[in-house]
Amino acid sequence: MPDETAVIAPVALLQNYLLVGGLLFVLGLVGFLCRRNMIIMFLAVELMLQGVSVSLVGWGRYHNDWGGQALTIFILTVAACEAAIALALIMTLYRASGKLDIAVWQQEREASQPAYVDQELPEPPPEVDKHWPQLTPSGIEPEIPASETIYRSHV
Amino acid sequence: MIAPLFAADVASQSPSWVASHAQQIQIALGALLAALALWLILPRASQRGRILGGVLGIVSLGLFAAQFPRLGDWLDDSMFVVLATLTVLAAAAAMTFRNPVYCAIWFALALLGTAGLFFFQGAQFLGVATVVVYAGAILVTFLFVLMLANPKGEAYYDRVSWEAWISAPAAAVMVAVLTVSLSQNVAAAPPAPQSQADLDRNILAPQHMAHLGKHLFSEYLIAVEVAGTLLLVGLVGAVAIVAADKELPGRAGATPASFTTDLGESGAGGRHA
Repeated sequence: MPDETAVIAPVALLQNYLLVGGLLFVLGLVGFLCRRNMIIMFLAVELMLQGVSVSLVGWGRYHNDWGGQALTIFILTVAACEAAIALALIMTLYRASGKLDIAVWQQEREASQPAYVDQELPEPPPEVDKHWPQLTPSGIEPEIPASETIYRSHV
Repeated sequence: MIAPLFAADVASQSPSWVASHAQQIQIALGALLAALALWLILPRASQRGRILGGVLGIVSLGLFAAQFPRLGDWLDDSMFVVLATLTVLAAAAAMTFRNPVYCAIWFALALLGTAGLFFFQGAQFLGVATVVVYAGAILVTFLFVLMLANPKGEAYYDRVSWEAWISAPAAAVMVAVLTVSLSQNVAAAPPAPQSQADLDRNILAPQHMAHLGKHLFSEYLIAVEVAGTLLLVGLVGAVAIVAADKELPGRAGATPASFTTDLGESGAGGRHA
């Protein structure tokens, strides 16, 4: 029994880890290809990197080698750099267009490519009115500047 | 190879054919269900069928998982199954929720599951580093950007996705191909020559950090230096991108066409000249 597990278990462990890594990678791929929000697209890229890391660690255990874990540490480093650059770019693009939508930038496409036209969607259901707790006012109510009411809708 | 089998007498062939191809049938069924589930739960114009999609996804995960060998010990098995299911389901939720804040939080859960998988595999340092670096730093930065961007409610672009009916089946087929090749080729490959003593000496050694550090700073020393430089370059690059953006006149309403700031000029101190 101990001999059997020593031989069989590593293969089983490797297969299971490779399947999980593949699933994570594919989910990230679908997320990157399908979603239109730039932040979610970059979350999808991070998910793909996670899938690769899981399979690398599995291979490292299987071959009894530290290379898998070392490479995963470098993947972590590259992912941190990539996140910093990507978020800076997202902030820049968001400031330029006011949207996180990647489809805004289709005007950068080649001249021969047709434009993507948004389909009509039914309006989302209206938000249910939330009842915020009210405190009994005491003293003089301060005047709220108009510029503050723009982003403090609930106050 | 399948077509002649079908062309033959199905009545007499089918029981043995089904029995001998049970694995292929299971994988094909799992891929079909996975594609349908992924298409159902991705953001579409209508919200109907999301629960059905979730149930189908879990069933297809079970079909895939049934292909794979057990680890031998029921405790190992159950721990792995719990961690793997948590990771994959959280990842699927992170890719399919409409609100980006929920996506980020589900992604954090997927990262925690991955860290658990790393611990399970004997990679303690990587598990801790994943929690600290990913969930602690990168994800919080994502949430900061989300707060700055302040998405109000459900924007149009969060409620639709690009052509999910192409990419979901493609992804399911990719997983099916991976599963088949894994369950046949890796299982057929000779196992790595190792015993429990070998493992204890090397990758499962008690002094995990000492071994990892020894390898990292001897074999991979140059790579470590390059990675440090890369971090510095990334830092400077991110600052340069945002600083260059600040010089745009009227940046809130600027059209993308006017977005041609010369980075070299501003980097050379053009602002202070």
